[in-house]
Amino acid sequence: MPETFWMIAKVVIVFAGPLTLAALLTWVERRGSAMIQDRIGPNRAFLFGRWRLLGLPQLAADGIKFFLKEDEVPQDANVFLFWLAPVLAFVPAVMGFAIIPFGRSFECGGHTYDLSLLNRGNGMGMLYPLAIGAVAVYGILTAAWSSNNKWSILGGMRSSAQMVSYEISMSLAVLAIFMRTGGYDPHQIIAAQTPMWNVVPQFFGFLVFFTAMFAETNRLPFDFAEGESEIVAGFHTEYGSMKFALLQLSEYLHMVTAAALIVTLYFGGWRVPFVAEPTVLLSVLSFVVKLVFFSWVFIWIRWTLPRFRFDQLMFMGWKVMLPLSLGNFLLQAFLMHGRG
Amino acid sequence: MAVLVKKVELTWLDRTYVWPVLQGMRITMKHFLKQITTGSRKRFTVQYPEWKREVGPGYRGLHELKRFEDSSIKCVACFMCAEACPARCITIEAEAFGDLLTEQGVIEKRPAVFRIDMLRCIYCGMCEEACPKDAIWLRGDYEQAAYDRLAMQFGKWDLMNTYADKDGKPKITADPTPTVPRKPILT
Repeated sequence: MPETFWMIAKVVIVFAGPLTLAALLTWVERRGSAMIQDRIGPNRAFLFGRWRLLGLPQLAADGIKFFLKEDEVPQDANVFLFWLAPVLAFVPAVMGFAIIPFGRSFECGGHTYDLSLLNRGNGMGMLYPLAIGAVAVYGILTAAWSSNNKWSILGGMRSSAQMVSYEISMSLAVLAIFMRTGGYDPHQIIAAQTPMWNVVPQFFGFLVFFTAMFAETNRLPFDFAEGESEIVAGFHTEYGSMKFALLQLSEYLHMVTAAALIVTLYFGGWRVPFVAEPTVLLSVLSFVVKLVFFSWVFIWIRWTLPRFRFDQLMFMGWKVMLPLSLGNFLLQAFLMHGRG
Repeated sequence: MAVLVKKVELTWLDRTYVWPVLQGMRITMKHFLKQITTGSRKRFTVQYPEWKREVGPGYRGLHELKRFEDSSIKCVACFMCAEACPARCITIEAEAFGDLLTEQGVIEKRPAVFRIDMLRCIYCGMCEEACPKDAIWLRGDYEQAAYDRLAMQFGKWDLMNTYADKDGKPKITADPTPTVPRKPILT
């Protein structure tokens, strides 16, 4: 019975936590970008007409507006797929976080409780978020195709090509981690990072994985699903109201999941530097701090770099990232072979 | 004509792409920290409806028809401003005033109607320059909005009272009866 309650509690945490963080990130994105560009940002939404709270009521205002907007489906759209697409985009985004251990496992009454939705030794390990990440492209492609709009289909095709290109180098980078660890369970991976975080010995793998995460989440500078300057709004050109909000939210959820993956694979998960065995609370806090920091890095880089051209993107994906991750993988293999 | 494109020689560090990205991130972070630690009053942005920008003394905003100390209008309805106006937005109808003065052989004019169509006015300040009596000024008020077109037709009394609150003058709605002749009467 306590296991059931624990499971429900974990589901609530894993569902609500990233969702709240994603909602907050939309605020951080708008205010933070404003600060980076010496602007002010949205500050006109007042809570009960009185409290400004640094523009945070803007979130509530946006939500209310999304709900009250007319929910329109274009005339020639495929209605069923048009409705399905936001769900297809949203569900994998939420699911990705399930494997991430967001704190140290603890023992209580003879049971070991893992602070990740899927317990250790479930057989999927870190392959699960990679698989889920690959499913995410269907949401975008379905949205693009069902809109029956040339901008949408262009954006969708581009973004699927981009995701497929970067998935290979990303997977190779992760494989090197698996080889280092000797397993692909996230708990194992975190346990293997005791003397130093994976980012130091696997620096090139980290670079590749980090870059690929931008491509996978469709964030600038690899913003090819949307590309406001050339194809209106890309795959969600025809979307409005809550459907648009779901698509937008799933992008931010992907960002949170990507940050969590980076933290787990390369920055020691819930480990605290210089503390050998942190308490459970400290470990959760450490994870959250790292997670928020990497989410911020995603936003930070978005407002620093201009977009790539599509051929530059493909050049980088196939001619830079792939050899780099392949070389990293082979180097790791040779090192392991040398050590015997 | 051929345009010579200057090729920038990149060092190997620049060509890694990672280092320039880090430099760019340093710049954006610098801006971020600077902006976030600056008090909101000291930022570039003026939060308009709450705070207003002070305009310079030469600013050409809403017009004012100036008055004498006894509140009578300075304008003598000479039509110079109406002639000078490139937008043709000034309408003047003149009248003679002061029975006393008429009897004494001096006719003073003043506008019975002085109307500026603020929708047509381009705030060029030509009327101000043309005026021989310094009776029309363009001043600092730049917030003109109305719910209908008619409200943007500023009449004589509107124009005389545009800056009454700001200058602490009473608002007037009628010409005061002149007690003394404004000019020495030549006999």
